[in-house]
Amino acid sequence: MHDACVWTALAFYALGISLIVPSVVRRRPSLSPASLGALGIGLAAHAAALAIEAARLHRLPVTDVRSALSFYAFLVTLAFFFVYLRYRIVSLGLFMLPLVFLLTLISALHPASSFDSSAFRGGWLLVHISSIFLGYTALFLTFVAAIMYLIQERELKSKQPRGFYYRLPSLKVCEELYYRSLVLGLPFLSIGILTGFIWASRTWKGPWELDPKILASMVTWLIYLVLFSTRVSGGWRGRRAAYIAIFGFAAILVTFVGISLLSGEHGYIPKLREIP
Amino acid sequence: MNLTLLGINHRTAPVEVRERMNIPEARLAEAVSDLVHRAGIREGMILSTCNRVEVTTSAEDEVDAESIIHRFLADHHHCDLGQFAHFFYRLRQQDVVKHLFRVASSLDSMILGEPQILGQIKKAYAASRAAGAMNGTLNDVVNQALAVAKRVRRETALGSAAVSVSYAAVELAKKIFGGLQGKTIFIVGAGKMSELAAKHLLSSGASNILVSNRTYDRAVELAAAFHGTAVPFEHLYKHLSQADIVISSTGSPQTIINKNQVEKLLSARKNRPIFFVDIAVPRDVDPTVNELDNVFVYDIDDLGHVVEANKKQREREAIWAEEIIQMEVQKTLRRLASRDVVPTIVALEDRLNHIRAAEMERYQGRLGNLTAEQRQAVDALTRGIMNKILHGPITELKSGAGEPENVALVRLIHKIFGLGD
Repeated sequence: MHDACVWTALAFYALGISLIVPSVVRRRPSLSPASLGALGIGLAAHAAALAIEAARLHRLPVTDVRSALSFYAFLVTLAFFFVYLRYRIVSLGLFMLPLVFLLTLISALHPASSFDSSAFRGGWLLVHISSIFLGYTALFLTFVAAIMYLIQERELKSKQPRGFYYRLPSLKVCEELYYRSLVLGLPFLSIGILTGFIWASRTWKGPWELDPKILASMVTWLIYLVLFSTRVSGGWRGRRAAYIAIFGFAAILVTFVGISLLSGEHGYIPKLREIP
Repeated sequence: MNLTLLGINHRTAPVEVRERMNIPEARLAEAVSDLVHRAGIREGMILSTCNRVEVTTSAEDEVDAESIIHRFLADHHHCDLGQFAHFFYRLRQQDVVKHLFRVASSLDSMILGEPQILGQIKKAYAASRAAGAMNGTLNDVVNQALAVAKRVRRETALGSAAVSVSYAAVELAKKIFGGLQGKTIFIVGAGKMSELAAKHLLSSGASNILVSNRTYDRAVELAAAFHGTAVPFEHLYKHLSQADIVISSTGSPQTIINKNQVEKLLSARKNRPIFFVDIAVPRDVDPTVNELDNVFVYDIDDLGHVVEANKKQREREAIWAEEIIQMEVQKTLRRLASRDVVPTIVALEDRLNHIRAAEMERYQGRLGNLTAEQRQAVDALTRGIMNKILHGPITELKSGAGEPENVALVRLIHKIFGLGD
């Protein structure tokens, strides 16, 4: 049942994304009801899949690669709907949703793990994981806005408008989206990392500070902190800030995907020592 | 349906001919009324703009409307039209429908997608209506043309990109700042072009305006006109950091704004973007200023390039628009054609029914001793024969609906069955 829901979601996402293409090409002021409908059905099926998984595991379904990717894809789609309804950026879907499709696909192809750890039921951990995921979702939006900003800025600087000039929002809107998602994402990331520390210091034996994922997330957090504080102090915006936002998201990818695949406590095959 | 259009436009006729043929708005009502009072003409519309003069009529089926329009124009302009004949295009039936749809959607305009033509058609239509010259097919077609124009505007970006230099500046400003509400414009060097650009920016929502000029009086004058503030030229740099959009057009032989100065401006503005529209020749803003982050410098040629790119964009959008037109023409023709054919079908059925009823009446006496059942059978029999005879002509009429040959067919059927008299 779960798998059927995921595949349904995947099919409707694909349909929705392909229906966005003509709207972007033809510079329509809004997405067609068909594409929004398809994406909505995809989102509903996805929600059903997550609910089934949550019922099976009796917790937030983010305990292995498969469910974590699926959950993240779900949040990104949700974020897309929020941003679209607020800003009506037609081309936004083409920047955000291919990732959703890819993550959902990987998740669908990934075998379910039978691993079950009661450690994942801890309150701190729940806060840790959900904050991190919400933070990553918002910061993905920051990343997308930065990319759109850079493309539009290039069009404007080149003085030779091409296709993107007509299809991307104004620099102002890119910048606003970028800043708002950063302001939203950074606190979640901070809470996520902090609760992670607390949890790790309580449950892990040995030098938890040296876990590669923890180090990587510290670096990520610092990048975003720099991005935020330079913006607030009035200095950095525009191109330079956009580059840092992209760099920051690359750091997230390294933290989230890269190191998870390598090893350690966050490898989703946790080698939890003694649980107190 | 007998639609005819005779016209000239910017592609077929030089301006001397167009102005010779022009019918001014003040005389439109009188002209259109003259047109529809000519024998055989049911409806008429005259569209006369600086780029086109077109006379469209809907006439009785057998009427040669083209020569009537021809005579009408000759009478109206008191001249022999022969010398101008080769400038005119003549369109008939579905070509008229398609042409009107394209004109209303601004696909036939000198500047693709320009919005004025729709208003001009509305005026021409209103004049015709007022003269009682709109009550049938043409009325339908023109109404449909207005609806199609709206659809094209809604579903394509045909009219969206700026195709004049001053509007291109507004469009670029919007691409940078989003809306222009609350933005400050600084006009450096008062000139016609900068005045025009400022006017467009203000009407798009920009609120504050600063004016500086070497002759201070001129600055004061212009500032007063825009409800802005005049700034003495010596204090130019002090006030420049307030400006989001700088329109520069001084007669200075060297650049007056260089990279260093703008770097200082940026730090004073906490890197909020600045847009320089440099329409001066020689240029006022050093082109290397454009290299700075959050600064955009467009000179007069750059604006020209944007306009060119936008025109190409409109041409691309026109392809979508033509598709919509094609679809709508088919739809309209089908509707008009069936409307054209329905009266003939009804008349034909009436005619045969009438014959049948008359014959039944005539044989009443001889059939008097039939039982009710037998009587019913005779009734069914005659009705059956009638329907079998009708089947061929009706199918033929319906299938040929919209084709020009159908007019001949309708006429033939009228003649054979003695309809309509």
